[in-house]
Amino acid sequence: MRPFDPRLLRSIPEARRPLVLLAVVGTVQGVATIATAFALAHLAVAVVRGQSLGEPAAYLLGLFVIRGILAFLGERVAARGGVAVSTALRRRLVSRWLSLPAEDRPEPGVAVTLATQGTTSVEPYAARFLPALVTAAVVPALALVALVAVDWVSALVVALTLPLLPVFAALIGAATRDETQRRWSSLAGLSGHFLDVMRGLPTLVGYGRAERQVDTIAEVSGRHRRATMATLRLAFLSSAALELLATICVAIVAVFVGLRLAYGSMELLPGLVAILLAPEAYWPVRRVGAEFHSAADGTAALESALDELEAATAAPARAPATSGTVVLTRLSYTYPGSSRPVLDGVDLEAGPGLTVVTGESGVGKSTLLELVAGLRTPDAGTIEAPEAHLVTQRPFLMTGTVRANLTLGQGRPVCEDEQWAALRAVALDSLVESLPHDLDETLGDDGRGLSAGQRARLVLARALLSDAPLVLLDEPTAHLDDESVTVAHRAIRDLAATRTVIAVTHRPELVALADHHVHLRAHASTRHTEEVPA
Amino acid sequence: MRLADRQTIAAGLLGAVAVSSGVALTATSGWLIVRASEKPVILTLLTAIVAVRAFGMARPVFRYWERLRSHDAALADLARERTSLYAALIPLTPARLVRRGRAAMLTGVVDDLTDRVEARVRVTVPAVATTLTAVFATVLCWLVEPAAGLTVAALTVVVALTTWVAWRVETRGHDDLGAARAEVGRVSELVTSQALELQAIGAQEAATGWLDDAHARLDRAVRRQVTGRALAAAVLPAATAVATVVCAVVAAGSDRSAPVLGLLVLAPFALAEVFAPLPDVARALARAQAADRDLKTLLDAQPAVRATTRGRVLEHGSVPHLRLSGVTASWDGTRRAAGPVDLDVAPGSVVAVTGPSGVGKSTVLAVLARQLDPESGSYTIDGTDALDLPLNQVRGLFAIVDDEPHVFATTLRENLRFARPSATDDDLRAALASAGLGGLDADLDTRLGTGGRGLSGGERARLSIARALLSGRPVLLLDEPVAHLDHATAVAVLDDLMAHRGGRSVVVVSHRPEGLHGAHGIIDLRDHAPMAAAG
Repeated sequence: MRPFDPRLLRSIPEARRPLVLLAVVGTVQGVATIATAFALAHLAVAVVRGQSLGEPAAYLLGLFVIRGILAFLGERVAARGGVAVSTALRRRLVSRWLSLPAEDRPEPGVAVTLATQGTTSVEPYAARFLPALVTAAVVPALALVALVAVDWVSALVVALTLPLLPVFAALIGAATRDETQRRWSSLAGLSGHFLDVMRGLPTLVGYGRAERQVDTIAEVSGRHRRATMATLRLAFLSSAALELLATICVAIVAVFVGLRLAYGSMELLPGLVAILLAPEAYWPVRRVGAEFHSAADGTAALESALDELEAATAAPARAPATSGTVVLTRLSYTYPGSSRPVLDGVDLEAGPGLTVVTGESGVGKSTLLELVAGLRTPDAGTIEAPEAHLVTQRPFLMTGTVRANLTLGQGRPVCEDEQWAALRAVALDSLVESLPHDLDETLGDDGRGLSAGQRARLVLARALLSDAPLVLLDEPTAHLDDESVTVAHRAIRDLAATRTVIAVTHRPELVALADHHVHLRAHASTRHTEEVPA
Repeated sequence: MRLADRQTIAAGLLGAVAVSSGVALTATSGWLIVRASEKPVILTLLTAIVAVRAFGMARPVFRYWERLRSHDAALADLARERTSLYAALIPLTPARLVRRGRAAMLTGVVDDLTDRVEARVRVTVPAVATTLTAVFATVLCWLVEPAAGLTVAALTVVVALTTWVAWRVETRGHDDLGAARAEVGRVSELVTSQALELQAIGAQEAATGWLDDAHARLDRAVRRQVTGRALAAAVLPAATAVATVVCAVVAAGSDRSAPVLGLLVLAPFALAEVFAPLPDVARALARAQAADRDLKTLLDAQPAVRATTRGRVLEHGSVPHLRLSGVTASWDGTRRAAGPVDLDVAPGSVVAVTGPSGVGKSTVLAVLARQLDPESGSYTIDGTDALDLPLNQVRGLFAIVDDEPHVFATTLRENLRFARPSATDDDLRAALASAGLGGLDADLDTRLGTGGRGLSGGERARLSIARALLSGRPVLLLDEPVAHLDHATAVAVLDDLMAHRGGRSVVVVSHRPEGLHGAHGIIDLRDHAPMAAAG
């Protein structure tokens, strides 16, 4: 696990500005902190020596005001920077997935987790861990430089002892790695148990088994407590050890300063500056250790997201057609993870008008449409097809108005008259008119609120509005009531008058309306199409 | 919300020793340096050297001790609260949980509980430690020079006020931020899981547009939320500077020895380090309070059924005749959610309930399953009023398959067996085969769920059906069982179910046409009346 992956800057240009800001604020804060040590020492010396307080007090006030402003900016830059980095990452991921064919996308479960919790866990990584990293890189170095100028003996002590901290941390880490690893994995299981039985509560209540879980929860929570404490004891112990080590190092500086002061070989001012500066060299390193732990999830998520963004993809085997004709040549496709091709050497040609594709279920009809639409990349063969609008078997309907659903994905503004015309073509105009807010009526998720037939006709209206020269329909009228079927078939016929329409169907009525009929058939190891006179 | 108990206060006291040691370390070091510069006999410095060493050691040691104590107490609390929360939720499940997205809601409950319990470590312990240290520092400075004591006290008050403001801002922005985060999660999940459907209609740009809107809203919420914390973080150095200068002026006019004066000048600076974590404390408090509010709202609900334990005992094993006549029901006691509904489920029949959303399809199932009491009308089981029968027995008649089947993080065997603990491995395999999972490349010992083998949506639905078949319960209630499945899978899953249902009755609710396939009767709740339909 790398603390900082430079690919972040390369792949997510939006992250550069917030990260640079974080680094700048962190560095200036470091400079201000070191300047404060000087001002404070001057003020203390002025008080002790009975000198005028005006100048050091003014410096101190000025510096603290600057530090106040920096602290304000720092909090804001960190919080907003964290959000900026994680949202930019999420946006890049999602828009990349939306541009890839299906087989190049990760499994839906993996993708959803990465796009939600994964990218969100990058937020604390960017907002807390990276600033800590910048501070750890800048402040100890600045403190050391300042010390060299003030008192080289103290600088030498710090320079010699500072590397002990990371070395010591690494030693503790190495010594406890196996133990920690073992505990973490068992801990993950134990802490997940409660969430698991909570999410399963309705199921357990349904089978009358929930009461028995109460004792199990008490027992597992007890084990979780013991296991967590064992892990925490180790973590707290190592952080206490590091703190002690840092304190000892500062004490060594203090001893050298104290002795030289007592023997008169050193002035009070450099002595005070030295003991105020020395801790500044050590704490940023300890803070990185503390934040590293809480940023572990983010680091891991960032790595997989960047892998995802930089993965190479195959070039599409798709030639854009200028005419409305679709030509498929020796097309083969195998689902990822499957060994048998679902389509093997399919040839098909479909010109303007309505082409229907029939075939037994499982023969790859839906896959064929997805290939033609460019949503999948074939293993072999070529596809020549214009831009397509595909109405799948579960077309996307969003929570939103009728209007929003109609105009979704239309790469152009669609005027109200056109929307009504499309609704009229599928005989939904009177229904929509009867709604309290007609076109602005809100539909539920997945079209809840409409019947199955109404949903099918609505997505057909959307296909009518699309300006794609090729419209692909996957079982547009399966499971619909008779009235919807008649209306939908008429609309499909109208659509085919001006465009190339390919429809997969089991309906003989639709086959009867077609200009061409292709029967897709599984034949031994190869599958082929068969032109049936329409 | 209980923020303090003996354990937490004890941990807070240990924390106070650790934090005070830190302050004392800075102060005594300052004293020591100034004293050393007066070139005394080294021996006279010994006491101070010992003190510095002691404070230096005490800080990490006491901090370690405090962290052990506070975390152990919090974990013990977490164990107790988890158990009692679970027990309290059982009678409220499922009627008093949200209707859709229950798993996400229950995840939120788990997080809320953690936030509430963590408040004792993240709020109480640092608050006790900081307050005691500030009082201690004030008293010491007062003893040296009353004016310096007042200055330190004033610094403490200013910091406390700023923390209060930060807490207010956090509290006010908390709900907004939570809603904005939830929206980002919802949109990302929708767009990611529906990528293919969105590409099919060329809606990629619209989809990234939704994500951009959600992100913009999140950015606004974060900006508002962080202002309080940023303000608190900014006030601290400014107040420290003023306090330091005032202390310096006081010290300059004091007749104490030089080393003591050095100590006075450094005191506010040393305290600033102590105050630095307070904005985080304010944030943790705001979160815990919001979590507490949510949990109270949830647990204040009344169970939706009156439980009876007496009454006639149902005949075991036979398929009951269910009849609803003129039944109305409501989830909240004010708004009617369904009815009046007449429904007749003869033994062994398949009845589909349809109608647009909001018409009360799921409500009817909830009444049948005795998750919700009807408000009026009658519900009889084999002619006896269902409300007079023992609740556990009536509930035992129904196996429910919904659109959010939960897969437990355990073996396939345990994922099935809770539906019938006496089942043998052969029974389990038979149930899996009937549900169409016979070909699953997993044996009964395969671990499923989080960290185990993942199941596709179709496999999850089939697992849920296998449980229902295994349970031997005579009536299957299917609530949108295939809502999240693609068409082909939905048809295959339901065909398998209908083929293996045996003599069981089935009541199915679906807004998708596949779900109604094979029903003997379809009740459209829009008409409030049964109508005959072809199967």
